[in-house]
Amino acid sequence: MKKKKIILYILFSFLIIIGAATIYIYKEYNRSHKDTANLNADYSITATGLIKEFEIDEKSSNTKYWDKVLLVDGIVKEIVRDDKGFYTVALGDTSSLSAVRCNIDSIHSKEAASVKKGNSIAVKGICTGFNTDELLGSDVILVRSVINKK
Amino acid sequence: MKNLVLFVFAFFLFAAISHGQKFYTKNGKIEFDATSGSSPEKIEGINRNAICVIDTKSGAIQFSVLMKGFAFERSLMEEHFNENYVESNKFPKAEFKGTITNNTTVNYLTNGTYKVNVIGKLTIHGETKDVAADGTMITQEGKINASADFKILLSDFNISIPGLVADKVSKTARISISCQLEPLKN
Repeated sequence: MKKKKIILYILFSFLIIIGAATIYIYKEYNRSHKDTANLNADYSITATGLIKEFEIDEKSSNTKYWDKVLLVDGIVKEIVRDDKGFYTVALGDTSSLSAVRCNIDSIHSKEAASVKKGNSIAVKGICTGFNTDELLGSDVILVRSVINKK
Repeated sequence: MKNLVLFVFAFFLFAAISHGQKFYTKNGKIEFDATSGSSPEKIEGINRNAICVIDTKSGAIQFSVLMKGFAFERSLMEEHFNENYVESNKFPKAEFKGTITNNTTVNYLTNGTYKVNVIGKLTIHGETKDVAADGTMITQEGKINASADFKILLSDFNISIPGLVADKVSKTARISISCQLEPLKN
């Protein structure tokens, strides 16, 4: 009788563990990206300062900024809307070819639509690195960006 | 008067193109799809920040893209892509350097649609391989709309697919490129 109880108890525990694991795996598997608007910035920096850091030492800047949430202040050099309605905002010094290029998250396209060239804005986004080009200037790229409300 | 305006416009356009010779974009789109036939879900990522430069004189064409910039619908897929497959911390960039083999058949100065053949070297995950692709170039109002589609074998780039997901992730990946290039003003 006692043995049966123990077996039942073990079986029951197993079921709970399996159930919990299934829920965890299911949740983890379907996990979607967090809205950057709700994330706290790991670093707050100016566009020109950020570009300079990458120009001086790309490797250590990569280690410092990769996958981090950056809040970047700067002047809008260019705003591009592609054929599918996705916005890219380039921040930086107009006299330089380099920029911080921010891919605006499609759920925040609306806020980007009112941004004009020459505006001074802050953009929050996730850093994916530095795309260097001698001819075209080098860019720090931010993805899933949002225009930060001041 | 209308003709004069048109003439002046055409003149400047011509001057800009013949002088510039290079076209570029920093917002090139590169999509890749490694969904295997039996997979119930899409294994695909998109990057909207590819740099592309075309030299219309020589037909040289090059791309550069940050691997971390590929966006996936699911976070977990994106993490696996970066950490286990392309190891983007170790190999942050993918590059292509090649030439348009039939460049002389493209008239960049007039509006038109052209089929182009591109050959070159593609570097992903630190491995460089020769690739060839057919593409289309649409020249319109002094801009170029370039697109291409080709397949790569993941094992060519030393990217291995674990047995556990072999039924979902295909051994080959389809790469689609779409760029709107503008003349480079020097």
